[in-house]
Amino acid sequence: MGLSLKLVLSSDPRLLGAVRGAVRELASGAGFAEEDCRAIALAVDEALTNIIRHAYDNRPDESVELTCHGLENGLEFIFRDRGRPVDPAKICARALEDVRPGGLGTHIIRQIMDQVRYEPLPDGNQLRLVKYINKV
Amino acid sequence: MQTSLRHLDNVVIVDVVGDIDLHNSPRLRKTLLEVLQQTPRVVVNLEQVRYIDSSGIASLVEGLKESQSLKNRFILFGLSKAAREVLRLTRLINVFEVYETEQQALDA
Repeated sequence: MGLSLKLVLSSDPRLLGAVRGAVRELASGAGFAEEDCRAIALAVDEALTNIIRHAYDNRPDESVELTCHGLENGLEFIFRDRGRPVDPAKICARALEDVRPGGLGTHIIRQIMDQVRYEPLPDGNQLRLVKYINKV
Repeated sequence: MQTSLRHLDNVVIVDVVGDIDLHNSPRLRKTLLEVLQQTPRVVVNLEQVRYIDSSGIASLVEGLKESQSLKNRFILFGLSKAAREVLRLTRLINVFEVYETEQQALDA
């Protein structure tokens, strides 16, 4: 069995720091440089924040599953929630020329991760993020 | 995350310590908006902020927007490498008035 970590957490923002720490360490163990470990932790944080805010409307007592798998040359992160289904067509990084708060998380995720795939499910959503160590 | 205020002549320095994420960014936002009502010049010390995500950046953007509507000044200093990177990713690094040190921020 390769590198694998599964977290089942409540949708409570107080847990974001703990998850970031675990993901940073996991990425370091997988061979990512320190800068990439920080970036990966940021992307994971942004994904969880989006789930808390949009899938669960800021309710802190719902459940999120985060599964991390080592790949041959990187890491895969799969987020599973049972909240409001997301329309993938509406998940888009907004134009940043308009300076205003909000809507930045998706943009950050897409800047950092090499693959981003949203999938609405009958009972919630799944998000898959992949980051490669040595992107060609 | 903790914030504390230092009052100088026409300036309030907001010292921020810790990580800024969804858990505590609303508190930062509230502090910044309150302080902006009190003084024409707000300087935010981010030297002790190791981590900030988009919700933290959003709080800073709200502070900036409020300062613009009040015609006050809103200045940041002491950005860590991580904070600079998030501002770069969101293309907001040139939107804020940013300095390296407190003295530079106060002299600006």
